[in-house]
Amino acid sequence: MIPSKIDSVFIEITTDFKGVIKRVNAGGFAEKEFIVNESIFFVCPFLIGTLEALPLDEFFSMEGMIITSNSIEFNVDVELFRSKKSISVLIHDRTKVYRFVEQLNQSRNDVFFAKREISEKNKELARLRKVADKANEEKTRFLAMMSHEVRNPLTAILGYTDMISEEPLGDKAKEYIGYLTSAGENLKVIVNDILDLSRIEAGKLELVSEEINIKEIVNNCFVNYKNQQKDKVVVLDLVVSSAISDIVFGDSVRVTQVLSNLLSNALKFTKKGSVSLEVELVYAGKKTTEICFKIVDTGRGMTVEQTAKIFEEYQQNELNDNRVFGGAGLGLSIVKRLVEAMNGTISVFSELNVGSTFSVEIPFKKYIEQQSKSGLSRINLEKMSLKGMRILIVDDDLLNQKITSHFLKKKDVTVVVFNNGLEALEELDNQSFDVVLLDINMPGITGEELIQRKSSFKKNNNTAFIALTGNATQKDRGNYLSLGFSDVIFKPFKSDELIEKISVFFNKF
Amino acid sequence: MIAKKVLLVGNFGVGKTSLIRRFVLSEFSEDYISTIGVRVSSKIVKVGNEEIKLLIWDVAGTNDDEKIPKAYFLGASAAMYVFDLSREETYVNLKNQIEVVQELSGLKNITVVGNKKDLLTSNEIDHLIKTISVPVNLITSAKENENVEDAFTILAKQSLN
Ligand SMILES: Nc1nc2c(ncn2[C@@H]2O[C@H](COP(=O)(O)OP(=O)(O)OP(=O)(O)O)[C@@H](O)[C@H]2O)c(=O)[nH]1
Ligand SMILES: [Mg+2]
Repeated sequence: MIPSKIDSVFIEITTDFKGVIKRVNAGGFAEKEFIVNESIFFVCPFLIGTLEALPLDEFFSMEGMIITSNSIEFNVDVELFRSKKSISVLIHDRTKVYRFVEQLNQSRNDVFFAKREISEKNKELARLRKVADKANEEKTRFLAMMSHEVRNPLTAILGYTDMISEEPLGDKAKEYIGYLTSAGENLKVIVNDILDLSRIEAGKLELVSEEINIKEIVNNCFVNYKNQQKDKVVVLDLVVSSAISDIVFGDSVRVTQVLSNLLSNALKFTKKGSVSLEVELVYAGKKTTEICFKIVDTGRGMTVEQTAKIFEEYQQNELNDNRVFGGAGLGLSIVKRLVEAMNGTISVFSELNVGSTFSVEIPFKKYIEQQSKSGLSRINLEKMSLKGMRILIVDDDLLNQKITSHFLKKKDVTVVVFNNGLEALEELDNQSFDVVLLDINMPGITGEELIQRKSSFKKNNNTAFIALTGNATQKDRGNYLSLGFSDVIFKPFKSDELIEKISVFFNKF
Repeated sequence: MIAKKVLLVGNFGVGKTSLIRRFVLSEFSEDYISTIGVRVSSKIVKVGNEEIKLLIWDVAGTNDDEKIPKAYFLGASAAMYVFDLSREETYVNLKNQIEVVQELSGLKNITVVGNKKDLLTSNEIDHLIKTISVPVNLITSAKENENVEDAFTILAKQSLN
């Protein structure tokens, strides 16, 4: 006797080779459906075709078939055996097991399709992001171009203000010139900031790695601000740890930019108390050293919300400070990006009405002493005279011409000016010059074209040619140098920069 | 009337059950209820003058390397390999997968069908077919009842060989 519980989960049947049921041997599963002398195919359509093809004397099993009994579907596993005389069919009810399988399967597939949906959404997001990036790139390019275009007239404005301020002026005019100068300088800062930011965004910020003296940089920055401070209400302090190595590898311009920005910021917002610049050694390894620059002020401080946003672009606009203090509010976001570009970190701690502390940590490669450098003392530009030097200026911009020649004439240089490349070409065959200052973008013949004909001049084949350009990237610089220029001066330039670069060639004669 | 056992195989979710439902019951559902094991349906089709009772095995879809149990193919006269035009993973390995089915079933010709035509533009489909290494018999949509009848006719014809 088979217990009924087991009995009800299987049935064993014998059929002939055509599927006609001959006997029910055992079991009671769905027994109503299996009627002797009727075809098993009615209840087991999956046996059509299969039964005829069964191999002889071999057990054959099929899993996961479906049988309907009393309008209920059952999942069954089937075992078949074909002997010489008949076929045995053993059917197991496995509905309960398959229910689990079904659930598992369904969840597996649901997860799969959910994942797919997510991955498609991600793809879409990535696409949108690309579009946005592209737009951002365009913006960056536009800004770079704009600020470049603004630089030329700005050079003229600043140059002329400089020139006017040296003329004898009435008090009123002096006052106005003062305003003009500070407005111009402010505009220059903004333009440079925008250009910097767009370069950083475009991944075009070029950092140089040269021997720099941290202590000197810090000191120069400090002295610069100390001198600017007229009312000595706020005490300006400098503390430099003696543990700091003198010479490291880095980008002095950018380090200065970071420190100046933070110092001027601190001074802006501090009405009483002190601003101090503290320089400490964080880490000194064999090859690298990490230095912390701390700018601590006792200024108005910030709320937590303001602190959180401090490094975002244009954040100053929100606080409405730029009206009072000038600048496009890009300073701190540039500082942050510059610091990051130097693999450093910047953080800020601030308390409202108590003050703020900005900490910048930058790793530098160490300078490994080889031989002491010939102590190249800085030339005293102020007093230097370039008397006897002959310089040709070729620039189509009348204002730039005038400024450049003004700077040079102050140093007793003999200046010849042309406003296009063709006339200059002629002159280069006639007289010899010590230096030729060549603007790049000129109608007719460009500075680039002109320099390439240098070897065919009747004179001046050994003269130094310096490019004057608003295309201010290191790549441009490299490009000009490879064309045959001896040096490159980026617009807008200051008198000092021009004189310093030119004086190099003066010494040679 | 002769009866022929035919199988629909392919990755899970490609629309095997949907094609059969469309063909046998003229129905379609957006819901996805994964097939467990095997579900057999039948329909009488006419090929030329001959009426055939097609026993259509709807076999649970496979996943990646999973193989269809060989037992299912016993006595089968034809098989259709279905892939999903909108899912690359259901056709990247098509050539290989069809060879596996040929080996398991002992059948020479397998009907290859790309389903869910409605989800792609005709340009996309043209492009896709070019990238597939095996000839595709038909492009179908169970949802919009496109070429479903024809796909089963090809299958029925193949079952007679
Ligand atoms: N848009 C569209 N969807 C379809 C088509 N055919 C099937 N589907 C959908 O695809 C999903 C899966 O369809 P099924 O027919 O269950 O797929 P299957 O191949 O039987 O899947 P398994 O049984 O798991 O192997 C369901 O949501 C269907 O509604 C079609 O032609 N077009
Ligand atoms: Mg299915």
